[in-house]
Amino acid sequence: MIDPVAIDIVSAVLLLTGAMSCLLGALGLVRLPDLPSRMQAATKPQTLGLLLILAGTALRVELESAVTLLLVGLFQVITAPVISQLLGRSAYRAGTVRRELLVVDELAGKMPEERSS
Amino acid sequence: MTRSLPAVLWLTFVWVLLWGTFSPASIVGGILVAVLVTALFRLPPATDRLPVRPLPVLRLALFLLWDLAVSGAEVSWQVLRHGPRASGAIMAMPLISSSDRVVTVMANALSLSPGTMALQIDHDHDVWYVYALGPRDQAGVERARRRVVDMQRRVLAALGSPGEQAEAERVLGRMS
Repeated sequence: MIDPVAIDIVSAVLLLTGAMSCLLGALGLVRLPDLPSRMQAATKPQTLGLLLILAGTALRVELESAVTLLLVGLFQVITAPVISQLLGRSAYRAGTVRRELLVVDELAGKMPEERSS
Repeated sequence: MTRSLPAVLWLTFVWVLLWGTFSPASIVGGILVAVLVTALFRLPPATDRLPVRPLPVLRLALFLLWDLAVSGAEVSWQVLRHGPRASGAIMAMPLISSSDRVVTVMANALSLSPGTMALQIDHDHDVWYVYALGPRDQAGVERARRRVVDMQRRVLAALGSPGEQAEAERVLGRMS
């Protein structure tokens, strides 16, 4: 049997690192300048934080509940990219991307026009 | 029916996980729901067959997990270091695959990679437009480009055809 104290310590480290990562993601939402950069904060540190918190929780609950946590993590990893892509291109179309903050913009003038009906 | 078998198995698996109990009732219930869902919501038939390479797929999954960890740290660093003055780049990159499913995996992998996401995919010209957070000068942009191609190389190692893999190596070689 593994020492329960050791499990507690590992779990605590995972939970705290995860919470820290989520906090940094939230901070990014406030501090970063425009929508695409904020999407990065909302998807990366946030996803990492969630996965760490799930892992930390999984160590402390029964196996059956831990397996359900696996699904939470899986869906987060699968769905977040879809949303970030949709929001990203909408933002570009709507002109909320701060052009002066881009080193290069090779999409300029290439985005297909929305068909007006 | 045999074509939708993987989907049925996968949906049953998810259903059982959602219930959190491995009882005969939950498994049979899962199969019923899965068959109903696949019958009601037909997916367009996939025209291409993906190769089955368990080991490279596992390697890809581990790499993506590692990528996500690096990603979280790097984006957090951008937030703390540059904050409101963080800069980015939108790059036109070669899309080294014509398979819809491989491109989907690539787009997914890209949004787990540090600071990047797909903005627009132009299938007709095999180009995709990638946003990257972090580059502050031309050298940074080149680094970000290499990373995007390297990620594609890893995805293709697991799912691509030999031709596509060679193409990825060629593009990567041209950049260095």
